[in-house]
Amino acid sequence: MKKYLFIMMAFLLTVLVACSDDSASNDTDQNTDSEDSSESTEPKQGGNVNIPIVGDPIFNPWHPNAYAESNIVNRVLFQGLTKPGLDNLPAPSLAEDWTPSEDGLVWTFNLKEGVKWHDGVEFTADDVAFTFNDLVLNASLGSNGASNYKAVKEVVVVDPHTVEFHLDRPFASLPAYLAFNSEILPAHKFEGVENPWEYTEFNKEAPVGTGAFQFDTYTSGQSLTLKRFDDYHNGAANIETVTFKILPDVNTQIAQVLSNELDAFALEDTSSLKRLESADNLEIVTSDTTRYFWIATDLTNPLFQDVKVRQAMLHAIDRQAIIDSVLSGYGTIANSAITPDQEGYFKEDLPTYEYNVDKAKALLKEAGWEDTNGDGILDKDGKDFSFEFDIALQGDLEQMAVLVQQYLIEVGFDVKLNTLEWNAMIQKNIIERDFDMILNWWAYPTDPDVLAQYHSSNAGTGNNIPGYQNEELDALLEQGQSVGDPAERKEIYDQVQVHMAENLPYLYLWYPQALSVRSDRLQNVPDLHFGGTLHYINEWWVK
Amino acid sequence: MLQFVIRRFGQSIVLVLIVTIITFFLMNLAPGGPSSMMRMDATEAEREAIAEQLGLNDPVIVRYGSWLINAFQGDLGLSLSSGQPVLDRIVERFPHTFNLAIWTVFFSVIIGIVLGIISAKNRNTWKDHLINFGSVIGLSVPSFWLAIMFILLFSVNLQWLPSSLVTGDSIWDTIKMYIMPVLILSTATLPTIVRFTRSSMLEVVSQNYVRTARAKGLKERTVVYSHALRNALIPVISIIGVLIPRMLSGTVIVESVFGWPGMGRLIVEAAQARDYNLVMGVTVVVTILVVLSNFIVDIIYSKVDPRVKNIG
Amino acid sequence: MNQVAEAKQEIPASPKARSNGFFRRLAKNRMAFAAFLFLVVIHIVVFLGPLIWNVSPEKVDPINALAGWSLEHPMGTDDVGRDVLSRMLAGGQITLLVGFCSMFFTVLIGGIIGAAAGYFGGWIDTILMRFTEAMMSIPNFFLALVALTVLGKSPMMVILVIAFTSWMEIARVVYGETLKWKESEFVEASISMGSKSMRTLRKHVVPQIIPSIIVSSTLGIAWAILSESAISYLGLGIQPPTATWGNMLQGAQQYIWTSPILGILPGVAITLVVLAYNFLGDGLRDLLDPKYQKK
Repeated sequence: MKKYLFIMMAFLLTVLVACSDDSASNDTDQNTDSEDSSESTEPKQGGNVNIPIVGDPIFNPWHPNAYAESNIVNRVLFQGLTKPGLDNLPAPSLAEDWTPSEDGLVWTFNLKEGVKWHDGVEFTADDVAFTFNDLVLNASLGSNGASNYKAVKEVVVVDPHTVEFHLDRPFASLPAYLAFNSEILPAHKFEGVENPWEYTEFNKEAPVGTGAFQFDTYTSGQSLTLKRFDDYHNGAANIETVTFKILPDVNTQIAQVLSNELDAFALEDTSSLKRLESADNLEIVTSDTTRYFWIATDLTNPLFQDVKVRQAMLHAIDRQAIIDSVLSGYGTIANSAITPDQEGYFKEDLPTYEYNVDKAKALLKEAGWEDTNGDGILDKDGKDFSFEFDIALQGDLEQMAVLVQQYLIEVGFDVKLNTLEWNAMIQKNIIERDFDMILNWWAYPTDPDVLAQYHSSNAGTGNNIPGYQNEELDALLEQGQSVGDPAERKEIYDQVQVHMAENLPYLYLWYPQALSVRSDRLQNVPDLHFGGTLHYINEWWVK
Repeated sequence: MLQFVIRRFGQSIVLVLIVTIITFFLMNLAPGGPSSMMRMDATEAEREAIAEQLGLNDPVIVRYGSWLINAFQGDLGLSLSSGQPVLDRIVERFPHTFNLAIWTVFFSVIIGIVLGIISAKNRNTWKDHLINFGSVIGLSVPSFWLAIMFILLFSVNLQWLPSSLVTGDSIWDTIKMYIMPVLILSTATLPTIVRFTRSSMLEVVSQNYVRTARAKGLKERTVVYSHALRNALIPVISIIGVLIPRMLSGTVIVESVFGWPGMGRLIVEAAQARDYNLVMGVTVVVTILVVLSNFIVDIIYSKVDPRVKNIG
Repeated sequence: MNQVAEAKQEIPASPKARSNGFFRRLAKNRMAFAAFLFLVVIHIVVFLGPLIWNVSPEKVDPINALAGWSLEHPMGTDDVGRDVLSRMLAGGQITLLVGFCSMFFTVLIGGIIGAAAGYFGGWIDTILMRFTEAMMSIPNFFLALVALTVLGKSPMMVILVIAFTSWMEIARVVYGETLKWKESEFVEASISMGSKSMRTLRKHVVPQIIPSIIVSSTLGIAWAILSESAISYLGLGIQPPTATWGNMLQGAQQYIWTSPILGILPGVAITLVVLAYNFLGDGLRDLLDPKYQKK
C-alpha cells in the first residue's frame, strides 16, 4: 500500500495545481460591471493607487544606484525642466519655454513661477543651477546620466526664474534629454552636504520635491507611500495616495494584479501575457519606445570587418520568428537606431535584410566564405569561421541568443554561446572590450541624437561598443547635434538612417513595444507607456 | 564552566575572523564591481569617479585592514548601493528573519517532538511508517518549488493566504502571512527533529531506569511523559544548534520566493549588486548570531544533561 | 564522546559477513528496494534514453514554442521551441552527474579529514574536528552564494561549492567510525606488529568504515541534487543553455501562469530522485548499521 501512497502523494500537488489553474480564469468575473459604466467626465477625488517596484528606491535621480525602481518613484516625487509630451516631443514642466541662441551654444529656459517645494520653499533658478553645476557636472561624483550632459559647460542663473545652459558645442536635443530622468533637486536641502550620495536623510528618508505627491511613509523592503501635495503648481492631484509596493518577484506582481492588489506596471516580459489578457479587470496597453535590440560584432576583428558578412548574418536570422516567439509579436524589425516612436524622424523605406538563407550564403561566398571541406562550417583560406557569442543572463536575452545562435549555425557559422552574469558581462565585454559578438539593447531619450553609440571618438572606450569608425557618419551625427531646425534635422537623420541600414555598425534586430498592465479602476491615464504616464499622475483618478 | 566559556569565546572570534577574510577576499578579488560602476552606458571616466568615491582604488589588504579596524569599533561602513550605514540596513531587515526563524523553531520543535513521540510509541506500525514517510518527503522536495506550488494553490487559485509580506490589520492577517513561509522553512528542520526524538525516545525507553519504573507498576502514560520524555528531550536540545544554520540558509530561498524583506534576501541583493560592505556586514552579523545561538544551546545542554560534566 | 563509549562495547564484525546476502536483505526493506529499482530505471532512462529519443535538446523552433504534448514532442516544447522530453533527459544527465560528483568530493574531503582526525588523534584531531565544528556552525549557504556570485558558475565550480559546504557530516561520521575501529583489537594488533600508520589506515580502518560511507554518500547525493536546484533557483547554478533539472525549473518560473507543466515536470523529477536516494540511504543504514536496525 505504501507504493500507492507514494505515487498518490507525488502527484497530488501536481494535479491540484494543474487543475485549479483552469478554474482560476473564471474567478475574476466578480467585477465585470466596468463595461457599461461610460467614461464619466467628472474626475473622482481620493483613493489610492498601488504600483509595484522591484527594489528599495533611492530618492535622488542622479544617484549612481538609482535604477528603474528609483526612476519610477522619482518621476512622481520630483520634476524635470521638461517632460515627455503626449506627442513624444519635450513638453513644459518646471520650465515654461526655452530657446537656443543663434550659434546654438546657449539655451535659455524660462522657469515657471509660483512653484513650491514640498516643504513650502519656493522653487527658483538656484535649484536648477545647483542640480547641474554641483551634482551632474561635478565629474568626481559620477552622477547617473552625467554622460548625457557632456556638452554642457555650466548653468548660469540670469534671474530667479531664468537660467542659461552654456554649452561647449551645439546640443539640439538638450530639451529632450532634460525630460529623461533629469529631475531637479532642492538646493536648500543640500546646503552643507559633503557627499550627496551619502546624504541618507534626503536620499532614503525624507525627500523633498516639486511633484504632485510628497513623501509620507516608507518601510524598507516592503512599501512606500506618497500623499497628495496640495500646493502642487498644476493644481492638486485627484488621487489621495500612491503606494509603491516592493515586490522583486514578477510572479508575485502578476498574482497581485490579478487579485486587484496592484493597479499599473510595465510588463517586462511577455511570458504571462495570455493569463493577463484573459483577466477582465485588466487592460494591456502597448506603445512604441525609444529602444532597440542589436548585435555588436567586434569590428577590430577581421572576421567581421567585411560589411557583406554582417549583411549575411542579418539575412540568416529570422527576426520576425524571434519577435513572434520571444516578444509574443510585440515588436517590429529594426533597420537603424532611430526608433518608430520618433514619428518626426523615423524613416520607413530603409534597406532591410529579410530572412533568406540563400542570400546569406551568396553574400558570404562573395566575401570569400564557403564550406569547402564539407564539415558544415564556413571556411576561408583553410580557416573556419568560428567565434564566441557572449550573452548576459538578463530578461529575455538568453532566449534571443539561443535562437540567433541556431540561425547562424544553419548558414555555417561556428558559434559558441557563452552565458555570463550581468556584472561579469559588463566587466568582460564592455570594460575590457573582450568579445567577438554580443547581443543587447540601447534605450535613449526620445531624440534622434545617437552620437554617443556611434561616434569614432567613443570607439574602444565609450558607448560605441562595436568600435565602428566612419568619418561620414561622424560628420552627420555632429551636424545633427548642431542644427536646430526640425526640417533640416530630419534631412540629416534620414541620411544617418540610410548609412546605418547599409553599413550595419550594429546588426539591428528589433524595436520592442512596451507593454503596460493597467487596472480598469484607473481613469484618465494618457496613452503612453507606463513610465511616461507617471509624468501625468496628477491627472489620474480612480473609480 | 568559566574556562569553557572563555575557550569557546576565543574560538568564536577566530571563526568570525576567518569568515570575514574568506568573504572579503573572495568578493574583492573577483572580476566585476559594484553595480553603479557596471551600467551599460557608463563611461570609463564615470566608472573611475565612482571607484574613487567608494574607495575601491586602495589595495585589497589595506581595505580589509581598515574595514576590520572599523568593524571592531562597531562601524560596518556604508552600503555601496544606497549610501546608508550597513548596520541600519541590517537592523531594518533583521526582525523579519528573526520572527520567521523563531516561529519556525517553535513550530518544528513542538510538532517535531509530538510526531517523534507518536512515532516511537507506535514503532513499526502504520503511524510510524507514515510519519517516517512524511519526513523523507519533507527532506526531498526542493523547498522553493514547493513554495511556488503553494503560492499557486493557496494564494492564486484558492486565495486563502497572501503570497507575500503584507501589513495586516488583524492578528489573523499576521498569522496567515506566516503560515506558508514557516511551513516551507520547517521542511528543513521538522524531519530531523522527528527522527531525532524518535531514536532518542527508543534509546531511553530501553534503558534500565525506565524498565524499573515500569516494573514498579507506574502507568504507561506516566512512564512515557515523566521519565522517558524528559531524558529523551535532552539530546534534542543539541540538535537545535545544528538546525539553526540550516534554517538560516533556508531563509535565503523562502525570503526570495515570498518577497520577505529579511536578511536572506538582503544578502542575495547585496551579492548581486556587489555591495561589498553590505555583504560583509550581513555575513558577520549572521555568523555572530549563529555562533552565539550555538553557544547558548551548548550551555543549556551542559546544564540540563547530567552526563555532560566536563565539556570541552 | 558518546560514540567512543558505544564503540568500545561493540564487537567488530567482518565486512564480508555484513555484505553477505546484501541484496536479499535489501529486498526485504520494500521501500528501499523500490527506491533502488526506481533509481536504476531512472539512470537507464536518462543515460540511455537519448539513444532512442534522439531529438536534439538544443534544437530550437520558435514557431512551435510552448506547444502542448504531441507525438512529435511527448512532453511539449519550451519557450524557444526545444523538445522538453529530450531536455529532461539531457538535464537529468547533468543533474545526476552533479549529484554524484558533488558526493564524490564531499566524501573525499570529509573522509580524509574525519579519518585523519580519528586516526592520528592528538593535536591533529583537535584542529581538524574544531574546524569541522566551526564549518558546521556557520551559515555556509551564505558563503556559497557569495562564492558562486563572484567566481562564476561553471559545473565544476557548482560541484566544488556544494562539496565544500557539505563535507562536515561525513567527516563526523568517518571520525566516529575511525575511532571505533582504531581501538578495536585487530587494528591495535596490526599496529603493535609494526605496521606503518598509512598502511594500517588503508588496509584495516578504511574497509571497516566503508558501510557508513556508503550510507552517507547515498544521502549525500540527495542533498547535492537538492542544493543544485536551490542555487539554480537563485540563478547561481549551472547556466543555461546547458540544461539541468534545477535551471529548467528556474527558467519555467516565468511561465507558471501560462505553461505550468514546464515547472512541474523537472520539479517532480527532482523530488522523486531525491526521495528515492533518501529512502535508499535510510534502507542501507538499517541494513549496514546495526545501531539503527529495527528490532
